[in-house]
Amino acid sequence: MDISYLDLLMAQQEEFAAEVGGGGGVWVVADVVDGALAPVTLEALGLARTLADSLGAYVYGVLLGEGITALAQTLYQAGADGVRVADDPLLGRFALEPYLKVLSDLFEQERPEVVIFGATPQGSALAPRLAQRTGGGLIERITRASLDEATRTVVGAVPIYGGEYFELLACPAARPQFLTITPGAFPAPFMDTRRRGEPSSLPVEPVTPRVRLLGVAEGFAPPPLPLKRAPLIVAAGRQAGDFESVRALASVLGAQVAGDRGAYDAGWIGREQVVDVRGTTVAPQVYIAVGIQGDTFHNAAIEEARYIVAIHPDPEAPIFEVADLCVEAQPAQFLPELLEALKSGKT
Amino acid sequence: MRAIVVLGRVLDPAGIVVNRRAGRIFVNREEYILPPADRCALEAAMRIKDATGCEVIALPRALFPDDDVLRQALAIGADRAIYLSGRGPDCADDAFMASVLAAAIRQLGGADLVLTGATTLDTGWTQLGPRLAEILDWPQILDAWQVEVQDSMTVVQAVVPADGGYALAEADLPALVTIAAGALKLRYPNGVRLINVYRGIGAVAEALERWEWQTLLEERPTPVLERRGQEFPPERERGVRVSGSAAEMARAVAGALRQRLGR
Ligand SMILES: Cc1cc2nc3c(=O)[nH]c(=O)nc-3n(C[C@H](O)[C@H](O)[C@H](O)COP(=O)(O)OP(=O)(O)OC[C@H]3O[C@@H](n4cnc5c(N)ncnc54)[C@H](O)[C@@H]3O)c2cc1C
Ligand SMILES: Nc1ncnc2c1ncn2[C@@H]1O[C@H](COP(=O)(O)O)[C@@H](O)[C@H]1O
Repeated sequence: MDISYLDLLMAQQEEFAAEVGGGGGVWVVADVVDGALAPVTLEALGLARTLADSLGAYVYGVLLGEGITALAQTLYQAGADGVRVADDPLLGRFALEPYLKVLSDLFEQERPEVVIFGATPQGSALAPRLAQRTGGGLIERITRASLDEATRTVVGAVPIYGGEYFELLACPAARPQFLTITPGAFPAPFMDTRRRGEPSSLPVEPVTPRVRLLGVAEGFAPPPLPLKRAPLIVAAGRQAGDFESVRALASVLGAQVAGDRGAYDAGWIGREQVVDVRGTTVAPQVYIAVGIQGDTFHNAAIEEARYIVAIHPDPEAPIFEVADLCVEAQPAQFLPELLEALKSGKT
Repeated sequence: MRAIVVLGRVLDPAGIVVNRRAGRIFVNREEYILPPADRCALEAAMRIKDATGCEVIALPRALFPDDDVLRQALAIGADRAIYLSGRGPDCADDAFMASVLAAAIRQLGGADLVLTGATTLDTGWTQLGPRLAEILDWPQILDAWQVEVQDSMTVVQAVVPADGGYALAEADLPALVTIAAGALKLRYPNGVRLINVYRGIGAVAEALERWEWQTLLEERPTPVLERRGQEFPPERERGVRVSGSAAEMARAVAGALRQRLGR
């Protein structure tokens, strides 16, 4: 991009800012989990950078919490041009009203063009209230975004029915344009370790949360999901070798355990856990078949699965014809490696 | 005490086929269902009614035509149900509906508790509840798995996900609570009520009302969303084989899983 073009864009932005008051810009509100930035916050900054470069706008990060000021440097490295920090014991734990107060005061003054949150519990609690308060639009859980440059409008792609197709939605007339992004959907940005900056701090007024947390809900366990509606299934077959590793994998992923006829015959699972067109058909987001040969009855029952991973020693196993990701290996040797890779978090 | 339950309807995914290659949705069987999270909200409302004897009124999440959704609520035990009808804007989005619902609640003379589903089935969106709570200036408890109103009828308690487990949250009434899909099993309707509501007989049939939404508001709320079309993901590419040592394959699979699961 040559400089005159950039100048033109900056001039346009100033014009826009003068029209609406405030400095505009693309803002990202960080999610802090256990004192660290959630990965979705960096992904949001990556998206913010892309949008801001096309808009000729600045990217700002907002951090709220207690003892979180040092995280500001990570936001700069991920692409923020400016960072605002509200570091205060009153914000130590997420609570709606205190967080809303800081953010709505900030946005009233700054009048952002775009505000991005992660589609996390915190983002999903804050974004709609702020959108309603400011007259803004909110496109939730987007997995892609493009820019209608003529009107400076973000067009977000929202997966429908879990991603069968996407609705393209925009808020052309409303400002700010709030977005929540699906974690993992946008690439993490390049971290430029030479970027640094001086964050400025935001005033925090004491505001009492209107929802009181009374501690752990003793004795509460959510009702089990029927296999039919489980979003994530780890299923074993005769070649799984060792059922305990299958169970361990399911537990690490928070998945439901199932199997084919072979697993039932081996006594590993109950009748209601058999995946088979004559038994239960399933439609999870991810189905992991461990040592399942994949006969017609089994494979027909997983047709609706969105993504199938198959682990089997036989390269000719029919399961590989329906799987999206095929691992030709002995499950007994492969599963411990997979567990290790999942736990260590390195890819 | 009065509880409002906001119920939507959604095309039964079993009745539609998405053809990625043609880039089209074929609606084979146009049948609408009560979305899973809204079913749970209705059950939560009925349990509160059982415990406190409160009045339960069902309102619609969109300007949909008079169909089965609110009749189901009446058959199950809601005291009143009100369709909001009339010609709406092209895109009657959640910002628009939140204003209309707030006006309907005002017209009813207020409420102590609003319950609705935490997420919609099709888009997975969450914003209608919090937008409504913002207009009403009420506290919100989102994604609850159980809800109870205390005997004093001044406080609502709910079980919500927190720190990888579940915590008890509490707010003074009036408050808005959204219920997680799968949290509660919806009871079966009462047979007599069911027959009467569908045949239009007796008190339960009279409990079904219709209000013109335009009469509730002086100023038409403006929708903020605009639809810009649909996109279809590419046909799925099957049979990608991973290769390398066991450790390399494990890392590749772990990476693919993490990406698919968004964590
Ligand atoms: C994000 C979003 C969510 C919405 N959610 C709802 C909602 O839950 N309930 C509601 O009543 N209104 C909802 N609306 C408003 C609604 O989409 C439109 O007012 C309505 O779809 C107009 O439909 P139509 O039949 O005139 O035309 P079209 O939209 O062209 O519909 C033609 C046919 O396709 C079907 N169809 C349309 N869109 C979809 C879809 N996304 N998935 C599957 N089938 C579809 C319709 O049922 C209809 O049979 C939503 C709008 C948006 C932008
Ligand atoms: N943008 C959308 N996203 C998801 N579902 C939609 C969308 N638009 C319409 N629908 C569905 O299509 C139906 C159309 O509703 P109606 O206008 O009542 O005929 C609604 O029940 C919605 O569930």
